[in-house]
Amino acid sequence: MSVRRVEQIMGLPISVDLRDGDDALAERAFAWLRAADAQFSPFKPDSEVSRLDRGELSREELTPDLVEVLSLCDWYEESTGGAFTAQVPGRGLDPCAVVKGWAVQRAADILREGGASTYCVNAGGDVVTAGEPEPGKPWRVGVRHPDLADQVCVVLGVRDGAVATSALYERGRHILDGRTGKPVTGLLSVTVFAEDLAIADTTATAAFALGRDGIEWAAEQEDCEVFIVDEDRQVFRSPGLPVHIC
Amino acid sequence: MKRAIPVLALSVAGLVPVWLYSPGAAHEGELTEVAAPENPQQQQTQAAPQTTSAAPTTTGAAPKTTGAAPTTQQQQTQQQAQTRNVSGPAVNTSEGTVQVQITLQGNKITDVKALRAPNSEPTRMALPILKQEALKAQSADIDTVSGATATSEGYKKSLQGALDGAR
Repeated sequence: MSVRRVEQIMGLPISVDLRDGDDALAERAFAWLRAADAQFSPFKPDSEVSRLDRGELSREELTPDLVEVLSLCDWYEESTGGAFTAQVPGRGLDPCAVVKGWAVQRAADILREGGASTYCVNAGGDVVTAGEPEPGKPWRVGVRHPDLADQVCVVLGVRDGAVATSALYERGRHILDGRTGKPVTGLLSVTVFAEDLAIADTTATAAFALGRDGIEWAAEQEDCEVFIVDEDRQVFRSPGLPVHIC
Repeated sequence: MKRAIPVLALSVAGLVPVWLYSPGAAHEGELTEVAAPENPQQQQTQAAPQTTSAAPTTTGAAPKTTGAAPTTQQQQTQQQAQTRNVSGPAVNTSEGTVQVQITLQGNKITDVKALRAPNSEPTRMALPILKQEALKAQSADIDTVSGATATSEGYKKSLQGALDGAR
């Protein structure tokens, strides 16, 4: 049985294309995403993140999930010299950049643990895939062209893996350099292919926050393959990127 | 291990010029000129390694040193075919002892491996070499799209929205 469903959660349209599972399994994945939103959203006053930010919880009182999210934030903040941060000066705690990829990866894990082996989950352009949609063929993941919304600039062939893109289009300059608090410049879009979406998504966002320095930084990250477009429309691509020849 | 990578990369940057310096080192750019074929498609293929050598790398110094000593065409052909491993000296850093091994195909680095790294087993390092190319556009047959569609309005108009059959 196959299921296709789209729901708006965490401010994102989240699509599930489940080829070997039923609606009840898809619902479990969506239920987790709604619960994650309630727990980690800095925009909900009752969330664990908001309560921590107001000083109502100490670090010792946090759930293991939030501890995991915060330690991921800390690792990337240190690795980027503060360009990536969950705490921009003068603003509240906002671990959204890590939570999104991390939570969507766990939603995909719920599908797998529920017995599914062929699916594609897309959360606002961040993708987790498993198996093959057709025998012998990978999922064809197009990377949106940074200037042309209806075209792609590369197609990746992915079986079990994750693809995340951090870019300027649409939401405008929404990524800030944690070192300056100002919008980042230098890159148009950063796409990262990795085994796990938490890694792919955070690496893409952190590289974007670093500006041009993010090109080499991302390429050095273990088990990450990158496709980066700079402001001069020059592409920097890892040799190991699984480019699908159409 | 991840934190050790910048240290290792810096060590590689320092050591690569030393290893690469050999009287027979070939110049890739010249090979392309010498071998310039008449068939345009073939020419494109031949030109690919040149683009690669121009890409930015964390080893930084490598592209420069590869051009150090021009040689004859015959020597270049031999160099291109040869695969060899070169182990660097053990270097003491503030983080611990680092020793890396590079694999060369001709005069191109095809692999970098840490033989000794602080607090870790021998490990393969990501090749910090990126290919550079011009941005292209295509409307291909795809299953899904990577690229932010943050707003619901944007989603409706987006490729992903179309793929999901969104109304």
